[in-house]
Amino acid sequence: MIEDGPTQPGDPRAHLSSPATRSTLRIQNQLLAAAREYLTSAGFTEMLPPVIGPVTDPGGRGSKQVDIDFYGHRYKLMTSAILYKQASLLAFDKIFCIAPNVRLEPLETANTSRHLAEFHQLDVEVAGASREQIIQLVEDLVVHMVQRTIAALPEEFAALGRDVDAFADLVQGMFARTTHAEAVADLHAVGHDQSADAEIDWAGEALLSSKSSRPFFVTDYPKGSRGFYDRESRTEAGVLRNFDLIAPEGFGELCSGSERTNDYAEIITRMRETGENPQKYRWYLELVKEGIPASAGFGIGVERLTRYVAGLDAVWQANAFPKLPGVVSP
Amino acid sequence: MSDLTAPGFPGEAVRLRARTGAAAAFPPAAEYGQVLFGAQCGTPGDQLDAMRLVPPVFMPQRLAKLIDLGREPLYQDVELGTVIGGFSSPLPVYVSALGSTRAAGGDLGLALSRQAGALGIPMVIGENVVPVNGYGRLDEDAGRSLLGRLRAYTEHLGDGPDGGVAVQQSTEDADAEVWNLVYSDPAARPLLDSGRLAFELKVGQGAKPGLGGMTVVDAEAAARMAGQYGLDPVFGEGRVLRSSSPGTFTAEILRQQIRLMRNNFPKARVWVKLIPGRDVAEAVRVAVEAGADAVTVDGAEGGTGWAPSAFTGQVGLPLAECLRRIGEKPPCLLVSGRIWEGGRAVKSLALGATAVGLGRAALLAVAEDQQDGLIRFVECLSMEMRLIVSALGKYAPGEISPDDVWSP
Repeated sequence: MIEDGPTQPGDPRAHLSSPATRSTLRIQNQLLAAAREYLTSAGFTEMLPPVIGPVTDPGGRGSKQVDIDFYGHRYKLMTSAILYKQASLLAFDKIFCIAPNVRLEPLETANTSRHLAEFHQLDVEVAGASREQIIQLVEDLVVHMVQRTIAALPEEFAALGRDVDAFADLVQGMFARTTHAEAVADLHAVGHDQSADAEIDWAGEALLSSKSSRPFFVTDYPKGSRGFYDRESRTEAGVLRNFDLIAPEGFGELCSGSERTNDYAEIITRMRETGENPQKYRWYLELVKEGIPASAGFGIGVERLTRYVAGLDAVWQANAFPKLPGVVSP
Repeated sequence: MSDLTAPGFPGEAVRLRARTGAAAAFPPAAEYGQVLFGAQCGTPGDQLDAMRLVPPVFMPQRLAKLIDLGREPLYQDVELGTVIGGFSSPLPVYVSALGSTRAAGGDLGLALSRQAGALGIPMVIGENVVPVNGYGRLDEDAGRSLLGRLRAYTEHLGDGPDGGVAVQQSTEDADAEVWNLVYSDPAARPLLDSGRLAFELKVGQGAKPGLGGMTVVDAEAAARMAGQYGLDPVFGEGRVLRSSSPGTFTAEILRQQIRLMRNNFPKARVWVKLIPGRDVAEAVRVAVEAGADAVTVDGAEGGTGWAPSAFTGQVGLPLAECLRRIGEKPPCLLVSGRIWEGGRAVKSLALGATAVGLGRAALLAVAEDQQDGLIRFVECLSMEMRLIVSALGKYAPGEISPDDVWSP
């Protein structure tokens, strides 16, 4: 990571015209071009994601949704495209989109170097896929994106001082898979107090991340740490068929994904378990009741991936118009 | 002074305490030497009221205190300080949830928040405040709002570690994302950073177990809430019954909701409020195992809000029976239900509660005097609790046990 980098965005002119920002955004552009190339050639259709809707991803870890007045109805800005991704499978079996997400994150996240109130996700959903198949797709996709980018833009990496040898292990693939329970045990072994039934906390994630030389997957998060759409295992109660992809070198989480719940009664029950009121999900539940395909999918945080690949100090440096939680900015 | 009343509740006695403080723990001083006081027969009450506190003759704990102090202990030596759901409090008392019901709105809600803050006793802010009265950001009426109450409480907190606020969320509140809103708002930051913010998952309430919150609203307000609440024009003349849904719970739903709260709001404490249901013991166990910092049981005697008549006398377990069924003392059990004086409070503690909640009593005390009513009322309650606990030969609330209570 770049040392002594600025920890808060400056004025927009200074940020946009700085050589570091330009190199970063070129890297981001190349990463996305590579993703489009890979997914399109694999038969995926790129969809344009909705920005507003009556309901959105209930999200996690305390962030607040943005309400908007839609002709007198309370609508939401998308916190993620998850509900629309599942619905889109009624049109195509394999879809992706690059979607803007808005989450009013808790103020305490302003200094984590890894939270933005507005960010983008590379969202992918595949009908009929299993968790194992979707994990393999994430791995192949990330390897392709990074390979293409370091090959295409050596001068930008040099300008940022990012040694591309950092990706020597990554480009070989073979990302490790560890379960949440194993990750918790590893953290306990080094004296980190990690709850066994919650997400890995940020400090814990940084610990795991700093021990690895390539990205790795954490699978099987416990119910109670994730939204209703991550499917519960049919053989292990309380365990979700999901995963996170964690970057090495302390950069932390890049991507979350799962097999999806698509059974109507199961979704309603899971909604209650996550404290949601099913009434507001009417359009989604009506689709589910009539049937939507079983699927698996994921969302890669575009700014987080860019930060890792470009070796940046903070995630806001990977966004042209960064909005940090609680900070009034353009 | 407000003309708020509470039929069937010793409102006049509460108001006397709000006016005169600790002196109200005794018969009128002016009558001393002129009137013979003694037991009064036929006082109506529930099982808890019918029980008696029974000091023993032999008091080894008093001997321990005597040795500790080097002099005979008195009631002033009782240390009432208690940890309530992760908050420290000068006595085992908190202010129960007062929600969107009109009686708790506006000035009274704010006065209550100010006085609870000044006392440093924990306070619960009830459900539906946000959907009904707003949060208080931008141009909403800050006085009635959640934010108004939070601010009033925080601004009057002393310099010590005491106090804390628990914010409830009901099913309808979940749509307004009340917890997410509070967790990300600058106004709540001082409480959050000092570990004095909790979120209370409301499973239901004592006055109408099995039903959601109910209020009476006018037609204009009803139109605004259409689609969000159940509305029923039972009263005619433009007045509409507004019902929240009670929400569906199973053991697994409760367990996972608590885990998700801990996952999503790691810096906030987690409280759970249960109805006086027949399976209350199992529900307490599930909540504690899932990691709740406090479990509140609202006895069927409680309620500031508005409940159908059939429910107030006939639905739900009385508080004493809840305590009996829960049995072995959970880590932090909070109880409410017609608590207004020291006897009932200490009996509840003896039967397993960690602290008692003031609902109607707090509201009436504030209605009597918006400046100091609750402060004087708590002074009196505190005096009574010290007197009783010391009479039992004990010097801290945690030392009281079921032996200290006799049931007829």
